[in-house]
Amino acid sequence: MAAVFPSEEWLQGLQAKLNSDTRYHEIAKNWEGDLFFFIEPEGNLKERLTFYLDLWHGACRKVEYMPAADSHPSPTFTLSASYKDITSILTGKLNPMTAMMTSRLKVKGSMGYMMRNVPTVLDFVRVAQEVTTEIL
Amino acid sequence: MQPILKINLTTGKTEKYQIPPQWERDFLGGASLAARILYSSLTRELDPLSPEAPLLFMMGPMTGTSGPTTGRFVVCGKGPATGLWAESNVGGFWGPELRAAGYDGLWITGKADHPIYLWLDGQMLESRDAAHLWGTNTYTTQEKVKEEIGEKSAHVCVIGSAGEKQVLFASIMCDHGRMSGRTGMGAVMGAKNLKAIAVHGTNPIPVFDLAKYAPLRSESNRVLKQDNEAKVLRELGTAGAANYAEYMGAMPVKYYSRGSFENVDNISGAKMTETILTGRSACQGCVIACGRVVKLGDRAKRKGPEYETVIGFGPNLLNDSLESIVDLGELCDRYGMDTISTSNIIGLAFHLFEKGIITEKDTNGIPLEWGDVDAMEQLVNCIGRREGIGDLMAQGSRRFAAHFDVEEEAAQVNGLETAYHDPRGVSGMALSYATSPRGACHNQSDYFFVDWGHTHEKLGITYFDRHEHAEKSANVARHQDWRTVFNSIVMCIFANTDPDLQVKLIDAACGLDWTLEDMMRCGERGWNLKRAINNRMGLTAANDRLPKAMLEPFPDGGSAGYVPDIQGMLIAYYQHREWDADTGKPTRAKLIQLGLTDIAADLWE
Repeated sequence: MAAVFPSEEWLQGLQAKLNSDTRYHEIAKNWEGDLFFFIEPEGNLKERLTFYLDLWHGACRKVEYMPAADSHPSPTFTLSASYKDITSILTGKLNPMTAMMTSRLKVKGSMGYMMRNVPTVLDFVRVAQEVTTEIL
Repeated sequence: MQPILKINLTTGKTEKYQIPPQWERDFLGGASLAARILYSSLTRELDPLSPEAPLLFMMGPMTGTSGPTTGRFVVCGKGPATGLWAESNVGGFWGPELRAAGYDGLWITGKADHPIYLWLDGQMLESRDAAHLWGTNTYTTQEKVKEEIGEKSAHVCVIGSAGEKQVLFASIMCDHGRMSGRTGMGAVMGAKNLKAIAVHGTNPIPVFDLAKYAPLRSESNRVLKQDNEAKVLRELGTAGAANYAEYMGAMPVKYYSRGSFENVDNISGAKMTETILTGRSACQGCVIACGRVVKLGDRAKRKGPEYETVIGFGPNLLNDSLESIVDLGELCDRYGMDTISTSNIIGLAFHLFEKGIITEKDTNGIPLEWGDVDAMEQLVNCIGRREGIGDLMAQGSRRFAAHFDVEEEAAQVNGLETAYHDPRGVSGMALSYATSPRGACHNQSDYFFVDWGHTHEKLGITYFDRHEHAEKSANVARHQDWRTVFNSIVMCIFANTDPDLQVKLIDAACGLDWTLEDMMRCGERGWNLKRAINNRMGLTAANDRLPKAMLEPFPDGGSAGYVPDIQGMLIAYYQHREWDADTGKPTRAKLIQLGLTDIAADLWE
């Protein structure tokens, strides 16, 4: 399933792809942690977007589109970036490692867990890129 | 800048040397300014361990100003193992203390007729007998010197017995295990019979325009605190990079012969944090605090190892015991030896033993089996004491391998042992190692970060795939120029500061009105000056090379099968640098363009 980013359909498409992708399942088999994504308004995006994903052992157990910020008070990671940078990552124009290392993608959470699981993060991005057919 | 105090240990004479203002503007401070000051002293004939050899402790214009990671200084001279330009920068608190004493450098020449230490209290300089300290380890020496001078707030830089015995990769330590590790400046200090230098100062650190500098400093430190890399360094230390480096096949294993290490997590920064970490340590004014404080079985607090020590005494030797790596790193620190060079040479010994080139007859009966921690410890002791095979190993890997007629087996460039960022995993490091002015160094350009994805768009340092070749040569050169500015300031390479802000800090600290281009030109000038010094001392294009091990593909891991095209990279690099392909010298036109007219005349006469 492919969809326009950002939308609820896109997020559901991402969940479906994460749950069916064999390569992701293998690489992320040890991952245990949920994520909040904050996408800051810029250009076509007029207000902050919030995604929630619960990732567990190579699968995506749950997604929520625009949940309240206090609905998941202690996510394993909180990631935030500008709309431009997120869409650049999704279209392959911005290397996700570049985004992280230059702090264009801000990370809050255990850096030890992140550094041990960089391959999982990179493969998550691959899957997200594959489900993105169009940017709003 | 403040004057440099020149001290001749043979005659006891001292002199205040005022740096020419034009040199300050051209080179800022630190290593580049030291290179300009020492240019005429560093000749091919100079024996780096002779009394005539200079040893220059040089500050930068921001040293001690609590700017972003600017508590550092650099020690410069001629490398005893390389015969080339040598510089080794270090953090801690000693540099800021020297500036507070009223000096921006100490320029040591001569040789004391017996072991001494220097005690500089403001403008008062005293030479004291150190015969009773000779043979004392680096930590104890600091304590004893402080006790004797009766000034608890003084800071002391010292050598251990490795420096005294002129192990060619001996280091200089200050404070809580902060090492001026590379290029053997501890051996130069030992050759001068100089055991330690204690300093104490009470003056404010000079800043050209403090009112302008202070808010810029606050802003840059605020941003740095929130930086992702800084968070990794604070939480995990530099060894936090181990997992990812291993994943990419950029972390050499078993003396550069393998590209994967199954038990990497056992020795990672994350594991250290979870198991033995009890605290963190920082250099003066640093908001990152990458230093580790750990506890082992004896419950004593001690310095924890950084990435290079972890990989050098870990995967490099097929050792996955983090505790033993802590012990081995500490042992090197106590002797005062660079952990990169020491672990690299031990790896070479293991490698030669496995190949049957050396046997137990050569090793004093020590069997060198991969992963054997006892054997590693015995070799560290042999080197530190220059006993048995350790006496040979103390001369560095190039001479050690040459002794057995296998110089090509040594993982070194121009006499400096390679660090633990493998060009087969991050190809930019091929140029970093091959063209660094001090041998195979990862700090003159830590290009592995760029190959991982850390770009600097404002400086034109963009992203190339980690396995591209000549396409990235100009990118590497730009990165080298930028890092040369860091080594002038003297700023830690972990200061992930916006370049525009960095220029503003330089302007406020030095009274300049620079653009980004001016800053990069300053770096390029320093890089070419160091090259010219090396050309004068005999370096040619033939010296720009990689060791054999790095030209053979890894059989496994994330970079299996890949070899960097160093020749193609060098051709593009020379073109970008405007270096003469036949001689390896910067062209006359390039030197003149950089304002190095007198250097051009000297080099091309």
